[in-house]
Amino acid sequence: MSATPTEAGRIVRRGLGLSLAGLLGLAGVYVLALLYTPVEARQGLAQKIFYIHVPAAWSALLGFSLVGLASVLYLWLKDPRLDRFAAASAEVGVVFSAVMLTTGPIWAKPIWGTWWTWDARLTLTLFVFFLFIGYLGLRAALHDPAERARFSAVVGILGMLLVPFVHLSVYLFRTIHPQPIVLKPSAPSLPPEMLRTLLVATLVFTVLYLGFVTVRYGLALAEEASEAGDAG
Amino acid sequence: MQVEPPQNGEYLIAAYVITAMILLGYWAALWRKARRMLQLTQTLSP
Repeated sequence: MSATPTEAGRIVRRGLGLSLAGLLGLAGVYVLALLYTPVEARQGLAQKIFYIHVPAAWSALLGFSLVGLASVLYLWLKDPRLDRFAAASAEVGVVFSAVMLTTGPIWAKPIWGTWWTWDARLTLTLFVFFLFIGYLGLRAALHDPAERARFSAVVGILGMLLVPFVHLSVYLFRTIHPQPIVLKPSAPSLPPEMLRTLLVATLVFTVLYLGFVTVRYGLALAEEASEAGDAG
Repeated sequence: MQVEPPQNGEYLIAAYVITAMILLGYWAALWRKARRMLQLTQTLSP
């Protein structure tokens, strides 16, 4: 299933456009968060970090879940497009995890009085981040495409299995991390301005995820097309 | 009695700046790779 460099170029251009739209949306989220949402009485302005931290966590966990799903399907169907997508989604998930793992401690310092604590949610999140760094390292170390796809699919599935534990860790363990306020059995417990801004931010981060993954997928396709051209 | 919210805006600015740096930096890295790839595509296409 080989693609021409022109097809790969088209995919890359589409992804760059989509991710640029996402970056413009991020500027819009900043404006909404700063000018539209009220200042929380107990946490002050630091509470507004929530509008980027939560959507970054959403995109990271979405990315890692889709790595696992694509990996399961790859082991079943052996379609290289699924492996390519899994690799793209893992890299983008790591980028969003980096946002989540930097904005979290910046919020924690003024609210909890410490940058980091070995709480169940934080520790599990860090563990998943390292697991996917390992996933990308494994891919870089293996040169045979079929072997690389098979081995990394196993690691991707293991990573996906950890995602529900990250989300449910606030219920399963004694933790100081705030409980979910939107993705929970009862209705979201937020004032309407805060909820609207959070939903817009989540949409923007999802667009960014899709844009980045599309570019990464197109670049992988282009590399394969150029390697096939060199070999042929 | 109304309670004044804590003054911690510097943490908000730090978080927003770092997020923008990470996401813009990643986009720029992808754009550079894409530009190189698109130049190669033009060379390879008949």
